[in-house]
Amino acid sequence: MTVLAPLAAVLALTLPAIIALYFLKIRRPTRVVPALHLWPTQIRDRQANVPWQRLRPSWLLFLQLLAAAALVAAAVQPVLPAGASLARHSIVLLDASASMQATDVTPSRLAEAKRQVNAVIDQLGPSDRMTVIAAGPTSRIIASVTGDRDALHRAVNGVTASNGPADLSAALSLAAGLVRSGDDARAYLFSDGIVQPLRSSFAAGLPFPVDYHRVGVSGENVGLTSLTVRTSAQTRAAYLHLQNFGQQVRSVSLEWRADGHLLDVRPLTLPAGQGQDLVFPVPSDATSVTAHLATGDIFAVDDTATAVARTPRAFKVLLVTPGNVFLEQALRLRSDFQLDVVAPAAYKASAAYAMTVFDRFVPPVLPDGPFWMVDPPAGSALAGGPALGIGRVRAVDAGDPLLANVDLQDVHVARSEDLRASTFGRPLISSLQTPLVLVRDEPFRQVLIGFDLHESDLPLRIAFPILTQNLSEWMLPPSVPSHSFHPDEPVTIVPEPGATAVSVIRPDGSRGALATGAIASFAETDPTGLYVVEQVIGGQVQRSWFSVNLFSDAISQLKPPDRLTLPPTRAVAVQATHPGQLEIWPWIALAALAIVTAEWLAFHRGL
Amino acid sequence: MAPLLEPALLRRLEALALQVRRAVSGQMGGERRSKRRGQSVEFADYRNYTPGDDFRLIDWNAYARLDRFMLRLFVAEEELPLSLFVDLSGSMDWGKPNKAATARQLAGAIAYVALAALDRVRLTVFAEGETSGGAPSRGRRAAATLFSRLQSFPAGGVTNYEKLVWPIGRQRPGMTVLITDGLGESALDPALTALQRAHQEGAVLQLLAPQELAPDWSGDARLRDAETGVEREFTATPLTQGSYVKALAQRTDEIERAAHRRGLRFARLSTSEPIDEMVQVTLRRIGLLA
Repeated sequence: MTVLAPLAAVLALTLPAIIALYFLKIRRPTRVVPALHLWPTQIRDRQANVPWQRLRPSWLLFLQLLAAAALVAAAVQPVLPAGASLARHSIVLLDASASMQATDVTPSRLAEAKRQVNAVIDQLGPSDRMTVIAAGPTSRIIASVTGDRDALHRAVNGVTASNGPADLSAALSLAAGLVRSGDDARAYLFSDGIVQPLRSSFAAGLPFPVDYHRVGVSGENVGLTSLTVRTSAQTRAAYLHLQNFGQQVRSVSLEWRADGHLLDVRPLTLPAGQGQDLVFPVPSDATSVTAHLATGDIFAVDDTATAVARTPRAFKVLLVTPGNVFLEQALRLRSDFQLDVVAPAAYKASAAYAMTVFDRFVPPVLPDGPFWMVDPPAGSALAGGPALGIGRVRAVDAGDPLLANVDLQDVHVARSEDLRASTFGRPLISSLQTPLVLVRDEPFRQVLIGFDLHESDLPLRIAFPILTQNLSEWMLPPSVPSHSFHPDEPVTIVPEPGATAVSVIRPDGSRGALATGAIASFAETDPTGLYVVEQVIGGQVQRSWFSVNLFSDAISQLKPPDRLTLPPTRAVAVQATHPGQLEIWPWIALAALAIVTAEWLAFHRGL
Repeated sequence: MAPLLEPALLRRLEALALQVRRAVSGQMGGERRSKRRGQSVEFADYRNYTPGDDFRLIDWNAYARLDRFMLRLFVAEEELPLSLFVDLSGSMDWGKPNKAATARQLAGAIAYVALAALDRVRLTVFAEGETSGGAPSRGRRAAATLFSRLQSFPAGGVTNYEKLVWPIGRQRPGMTVLITDGLGESALDPALTALQRAHQEGAVLQLLAPQELAPDWSGDARLRDAETGVEREFTATPLTQGSYVKALAQRTDEIERAAHRRGLRFARLSTSEPIDEMVQVTLRRIGLLA
């Protein structure tokens, strides 16, 4: 045992002081009583008031000395060695993702993790510092390099779980940014291990070691992993997939609702590890459909799935081209596009079109809205430099959502305008010679393609319709998205022309207003359920919908991995640790309080 | 000097009378039933006439029926000798209201009841010894003198109940009222025994101050005995004060038991009670007054 405040031992002088006070003469007022012989004869504690006489045994004196000794012991702040090995700077990564809501440990994985973190906080020494990072879909520092235990406890206790995945890479990047080379730092990850794969950039290692503290035990969960509504010529139907991720046969009850009205309840039995696909009819007038599993399992987020049942609103799109069957066919894949094709000579600017695609033609005045510009003729407004010979192409950022599922491996371009000097926007697809495809967000989402599609094999690859779909959905998100969004995934909302107010109503009924002038990104999508987008156009309220569902097998499987692959520690990292400290002064102070209370009681009972 | 008792109280006292259980034998006629036959309106018995008897007492109706002279006898009514022993020791000069002052008033009230009924009253105050309160008083007119005598005796000194044995023992049978706080260190028993032997129909009135019954202070103090001046250091706590209250209650119980054992009436009075209430309620309750 060590003491944190040895100087406080000076307070031990109070012990001889108490004894000295005991000897001091007490000034007592004289009281005349009619019959002294009736008053009890025992003279109590402080009768010893003549200096230097023999100290008489007294319970009160003993208790006073004991209380003073306990208070002195508390003041020197003794600490006992505790179990944890702590560095001078401890970085706690607290997983606050959806899977931490699982209740396989009581009351929940997150609560258990918070309890463990609080226990570590209690073991911090006086010179130790701690940083706490909540790792969810976005990671944030909730307490930065502090030794203030109260602040740390408050920060940790204030963490709530999101419905999104845990981006451990972002959390580790944040942590690495707080540690300087040579710092005595160590990270402690309190997680169920269900995290997004680490970025490859971490292969070089981290400047601190990471200890994984696993929270959670079970993977017994049945969840809904997909719900889509498809419209055929005759009917509309919903396709639902549910999966038993556990090791035991599970019987569940599935409730099927349209706009909140119960339509069907089906009892189902799912073998261990098996899934089941179900098809439900969707009423023609339904806005949304909801499936709910009455399972009472350890994870509730994936027990409900919502899908929008409305038919998407159609967009009018104009293709101005001398003739481009590839582009025309690719654009027609969007079922909510009403495509008009005109020759350049017949082009007239019109506000009726939500998007215009110019192929090898540039109008005198560019439209004030979303447009594609493919191979602008030399000398026109957006034209680049003289044509360059190009070979293979590559993605500027392979992780760009606009290139999701777009394979550019076997794509070649013969010639392209030189767009290196173009200020149009950021490059999306590039080559060794020049950027090939540029995109920009402001003032509207617009695309510039520097080459004639006929001088490339891109239109012959599967990547082309996918790229077209990605770009068109980015520029004109469908009024009813073709898919459900994941929690915390940003949703692009394109205000209608003439919209005076745009707002989003969340599943809990709360409303968030958006700007009306430009495409907006709505990121407050953590709660799952149905979101309503309301736009006021000419006094009329126009509604569109989107749904947010977990739909993640990785999260729903819930079983915490026994081992978690974590980045290695760089050799230069200092790994010195010291045992945690458990301060026991509060208990000693409590004992002192009890002794003082006992002394008070003893005094009043005349001991 | 303020009058010992208010005139209004005196008027109310005139309606009361000392209550005796046995017949009394005084020296002079009064309003009490006597053991002797005498002149009154209350018939007692018949006896044969003997020469020398007062022929006015011959029952002529009995003579007509029996042809014998029969004499009608009546209960004699005599005075009641009342002795008041008032404790004016140092311990009585204490409390709010003061016990000695209250004792003087109480004694005065009882004396006035007796004087109003033509009883003879002898006053004795005592502390370390007995001090005669002067010649016995009789008649309502003697009340003022008796009251001024009561007020003239100062309180002080150590209580010694044993000194009461002789003056009590020399009394003729009658009524004795002892007013004291009962807190002297000497035992009260010998005095009570003397009362019994002197055929006294009596009462012990224990007078205490409210501050004695429930001490109103706590903490450290140097206690000084009101009679002896002896001092002792003390720390008052609920426990030690509880011990004192218990000892006081025990002392009171002892006095009460001793009084009842000897056929004496007993009452514990608090100086916080008005004199009127003491006399009208408490003393009537124990049967001293009616």
